[in-house]
Amino acid sequence: MEVPLHDVDVLVPKNLTEALRILSERRDIRVLAGGTDLLVQLRSGAVSKSDLIDISRLQELRYIRHSDGYIAIGALTTYSDIAGSDIVRRYAPLLAEAAETVGSVQIMNKGTIGGNVINASPAADSLPPLYVLDAKLKLVSVDGTRAVGISDFYRGYKKLEIRPNELLAEVRLRAMGAGEVGHFFKHGLRQGDAISVVNGAVVLDLDGDKVVNAAIALGAVAPTVVRAPEAERVLKGKRLSEDVMWEASREVLKSISPIDDVRGSAAYRRELSVNYLYMTLWRLAREVGAL
Amino acid sequence: MGEFRFLLNGKVVTVKAPPCYTLLEVLRYVLRMTGTKEGCARGDCGECTVLLDGEPVHACLTVMTQVEGRSVTTIEGIDPQHPLVRAFVEAGAVQCGHCTPGLIISSYALLSRNPSPTEEEVREAIRGNLCRCTGYSKIVRAVLSAAGV
Repeated sequence: MEVPLHDVDVLVPKNLTEALRILSERRDIRVLAGGTDLLVQLRSGAVSKSDLIDISRLQELRYIRHSDGYIAIGALTTYSDIAGSDIVRRYAPLLAEAAETVGSVQIMNKGTIGGNVINASPAADSLPPLYVLDAKLKLVSVDGTRAVGISDFYRGYKKLEIRPNELLAEVRLRAMGAGEVGHFFKHGLRQGDAISVVNGAVVLDLDGDKVVNAAIALGAVAPTVVRAPEAERVLKGKRLSEDVMWEASREVLKSISPIDDVRGSAAYRRELSVNYLYMTLWRLAREVGAL
Repeated sequence: MGEFRFLLNGKVVTVKAPPCYTLLEVLRYVLRMTGTKEGCARGDCGECTVLLDGEPVHACLTVMTQVEGRSVTTIEGIDPQHPLVRAFVEAGAVQCGHCTPGLIISSYALLSRNPSPTEEEVREAIRGNLCRCTGYSKIVRAVLSAAGV
């Protein structure tokens, strides 16, 4: 049975200051950004019914800026904004790849990066790129501002390091340097518009074909997105040979704990994780001329 | 109950509706404009696609506070003699017809910003619109033919 939402009140703040005041006064309220996940969850009863504060029109939280080796993205920046941004395509191309494959054009036009972070699905497509680019989340409230690292923000399945009066205002990530290459990968059950069965992101800092540093993150294979330190360790200091890439890919199994669900079994996810990591490393190796 | 004013197919309209009513509910149940279809009502099928300030979005996932003061284009706002509509008819891109309004809107948005798309660009633009009848070949052909490609 669909939950009727006719009695849900929607407050529309005129600016960020008003939004923060409402959040400090109303603890029983949910923040509505693009609505592509929240409205579905409210109607299905997956989250309990509550009044909403619609922040989707706060243009002051919709921007992409580059300075001092960082990219700052306002929480209300849409996937379409991100996919079409020259800054993101140049300094965090894997985030643009994730934004392009997150869903249909319709979803890209409304869904926001802040919504994706707060919705906290372990399969969220923007998260693996944020993990490998050491994202920091700017949380604001009437009490002030604080920054939380992305891996500290997720304490468990949908358990977030955020207070009821705080709003996610900005996602700040490291701009990739000249020697760095990376890709996002995703396995969905439909090409055009699907939730990931497994997704992930890889960033390699290369000196020729030698890996100086590696960052690997996978989604939909644990209660939160996870980094794969064992696989990263195999790659560090090595040349990108087929043997090294296979060894690193198999090591990813030590970092993941997938479950069986409607989109795939745990065993399928383990195999996908190894194979997609290998395919992504192989693709990067080919692109830099190491293979 | 809220009162919402927006531009609908070029005309200013004012409607009364609960603020969490979706644009789809307002179109179909308040304004009785049934051209925009409801399929899954959860953002998967694309049947309810409308243009919000010129960009395709799901009317089923857009609440009225997000529509206030903005411009909405529905299938009723597309001229029946528009080359895209004629191309759909001529190519046989319509079978049961349920997906057609959403597909016309998505294709219309594509042609507005890219008048000569490649086949791949057409398929990308309509990837969020499910059709269970045609297999998409005739739809893609219709869009390309309307573009004169």
